[in-house]
Amino acid sequence: MRALKISTSGVRGTVGWPFTPELAIEFAQAFATYVGGGTILVARDSRRSGEMFRAAVVSGLLAAGIRVVDLGICPTPSLQLAVIHRRARGGIAITAGHNPEGWNALKFIRDDGIYLNARQGEELLDVFHQREFHKARWDRIRPLEVFARADDLHRRLLRARFDIERIRRQHFLVAVDCANGACATLTPQLLEEVGCRVVPFNDRTDDGFPHDPNPNPSAMNPLAALCKAIGATIGFAHDADGERLGIVDDRGQPLDDELTLAIAVEARLSARPGLVVTNVSTSRILDVIAERHGGRVLRTPVGQAYVSEAVRDRKAVLGGEGSGGVIVPEVLLSHDAAAAMLLILEYLAGTGSKVSEVVAGLPRRFMRKGAFPMPPRTIYSFLSGFRDDLERNAGAAGADFTDGVLIREREGWVHFRASNTEPLLRVIAEATTEEDLDILWRRAERILQEGGVLP
Amino acid sequence: MKPIRTLKISISGVRGIVGDSLGPVLLVRFAQAFGTYGGGGTIAVGRDTRTSGEMVSHAVVAGLLSTGCEVIDLGIAPVPTIQFYVRRSPSAGGIAITASHNPAEWNALKFIGPRGLFLDAAEARELLDIYHQSDYRRAETPGLRAVARDASAIDRHIEEILHVLGPVPHRLRVAVDAVNGAASEASPRLLDALGCDVVPIHTTPDGRFPRPPEPVAENLKRLCAVVRERRADVGFAQDADADRLAVVDDRGRPLGEERTLALAADYVLSRERGPVVINLSTSRAVEEIAARHRAKLFRTRVGEVNVTGKMEEVGAVFGGEGNGGVIWPRINFCRDSLTGMACILHLMARRGDPISRIAAGLPRYAMVKRKLDLPPIDVSELLGRLRAATPEAGEWNDLDGLRFASGSSWWHVRPSNTEPAIRVVAEAKTERLARSLADRLERRIRAAIRGRRAE
Repeated sequence: MRALKISTSGVRGTVGWPFTPELAIEFAQAFATYVGGGTILVARDSRRSGEMFRAAVVSGLLAAGIRVVDLGICPTPSLQLAVIHRRARGGIAITAGHNPEGWNALKFIRDDGIYLNARQGEELLDVFHQREFHKARWDRIRPLEVFARADDLHRRLLRARFDIERIRRQHFLVAVDCANGACATLTPQLLEEVGCRVVPFNDRTDDGFPHDPNPNPSAMNPLAALCKAIGATIGFAHDADGERLGIVDDRGQPLDDELTLAIAVEARLSARPGLVVTNVSTSRILDVIAERHGGRVLRTPVGQAYVSEAVRDRKAVLGGEGSGGVIVPEVLLSHDAAAAMLLILEYLAGTGSKVSEVVAGLPRRFMRKGAFPMPPRTIYSFLSGFRDDLERNAGAAGADFTDGVLIREREGWVHFRASNTEPLLRVIAEATTEEDLDILWRRAERILQEGGVLP
Repeated sequence: MKPIRTLKISISGVRGIVGDSLGPVLLVRFAQAFGTYGGGGTIAVGRDTRTSGEMVSHAVVAGLLSTGCEVIDLGIAPVPTIQFYVRRSPSAGGIAITASHNPAEWNALKFIGPRGLFLDAAEARELLDIYHQSDYRRAETPGLRAVARDASAIDRHIEEILHVLGPVPHRLRVAVDAVNGAASEASPRLLDALGCDVVPIHTTPDGRFPRPPEPVAENLKRLCAVVRERRADVGFAQDADADRLAVVDDRGRPLGEERTLALAADYVLSRERGPVVINLSTSRAVEEIAARHRAKLFRTRVGEVNVTGKMEEVGAVFGGEGNGGVIWPRINFCRDSLTGMACILHLMARRGDPISRIAAGLPRYAMVKRKLDLPPIDVSELLGRLRAATPEAGEWNDLDGLRFASGSSWWHVRPSNTEPAIRVVAEAKTERLARSLADRLERRIRAAIRGRRAE
């Protein structure tokens, strides 16, 4: 499949065509023009096209007179911290996160380490489309600077934010699948520093991805097998850039991706009740956990910047998304798999419980996710038609239009929305029982058929 | 009105002013065209020291990688070093990033074929066709290759010069002015390896040229002063990419670039017998030296690729261009100031005379070079008129513009490849004769232009 998605979250596509180095250069020039000069940090994950896009981005930034600092292969959260630490004007993360290796993307980070929000993303797109980029005179072009210590900075901050001694005393046995991604050095080193016995694998950054770097249960079989074989306390799986975290429990059972945030919320609220921010598509398990601990859940549209800004503005104690991204605000206002690991390990160490026991204590929900490829125009006309229908027929009462359309039924909820990163209509349904989920899903399919987007 | 031309795309490559016409998108496309032309093989990339060098080189690397090429990054290196490297490695070609003798705000790409020679006219036209068709090879992820860095190119080049020539038997004090250009590191190292006492000036590779990079007499005042102050035996000056060499004698007087080739020819022809190739604008002094050594001499169109093409055809042992470009195929098949320096030092050691005395023994000629603005008219018609207006008897050559030789004087008129101008070169036994020859020629050209316009 070949695809390109230029959106407020940046540019993402299949390498070779249509995502070309020209496009990367022009986006870098647009970003440089948008931030108006100063320092911009650049990092990439380990996918094979990273070097090409890195060269393109660096060239575009240098041509605009930017002081470019190259972090090399580096997790995105480490880049975001380095942007703050170096007081840079922004950062560019060259990574397609959980997408397969044939994809790549540019993600734009502002001076406070958070991704551009939707409005800022639109402004950047306007600059991009206008194609009137700032050109530096020859004597204003600066030499490229290299900074290879963003990892250190990140680990040092993490060690300062958690009760490391408590974790250290447990001598946890931890298996880690780094997916040959950007966390290949950071995570094994960090876990060793906090006293874990670490069994890392897929921890080479020069070898291509052994599987899609999406840490959901289907990609965690090798990790699960390893956990079983060695009797690991817990297994962690990474995406390519260190945002999403997948978990295998102490019995070698891969957990659903929604459970990563749920466990993190349980860990955080049991010690520090407060507000949790997530998006409208994330499991309602969180609401039940929050209620138990006297906390609350605030929901935003899908997109990290929405969650990040709400966490900051509402002084939330935790944030995240159902896909395995956790925001631990005292570390970083964006998804940080390493922070999530320490939060969970600290909790396990404090309570003495096993992962499987924690999961058993969580409410049970059944979720189904579907992704329907179709042209963006079809997606948007379906969504707006659906919304009009609901409003006209007074069906809007239980509906939520925060992002696309979410309908609430007796059995649960269904959310229809346009993917921010790919030409897909995403449908997510959640119910309390499997039977209810089937009913919900059939209803969702009927809505798609009536809307003319499913045969 | 003078036409504004800051971008020149021609068979000699692409050249422009950075921050104006020469930007990363144009560069990435040219690199893609060259990668496509090279069929996705291994391409060596080197640059001179210009402040825009890193920006250009990143764009070039991105473009080459996107076509599936493997890239060898040589960093800052003289152009002859890059050509040497390509010739001696299994590369599909090279790209030299340098605007040579142009001022610091310019930069350019020069394309090198698999044998270390610049692309000839036919090859360059093929490359331009690919560029204009924009139908480039697009490697997808499994087909993308990596960048290798090789810092050994200068070492290899110096080793080869030493292997062929050996150290200079006398300890000579040598001042060298690398104009803070590509040879800033290579020249002092070569001279040191040859056993000279080196007095380096302008060897900070920061691309801020302390003098205009063209090594003509009026730009070498500092070098001349240093030669006198430090009582050096000889002074050498290079341009920014180190293909051209100028010599300052032991009394601090510039010998004029035309003498460089004469000196080197005298040395090489005393070692090797065989034909010599020079361009139509090169001094007759080289002709006479070739005759002294009973070497057959050929003249070609101006331009390194024309000279090397003819050298291959006739099996020449030496060649070059009058503006200080020494070609000795035994070492390197291109204009190479490093080889030129080594030849002249060995000539000095063997003669045991000061360079001023050796130069005094060269055939005496004076050359006048002028550039006349050219209105937009048919140049071949203009040259026809000029020929008709020349009553003197002599030998005509219309291979490249028009050349006329009579006795010991000659003139050569040709349209510039880079500007709307015609270049006029006249040479005679004395300065006065050369000037009056040039004056007469200029009057006739102006009359021919007027005649054309009057119609």
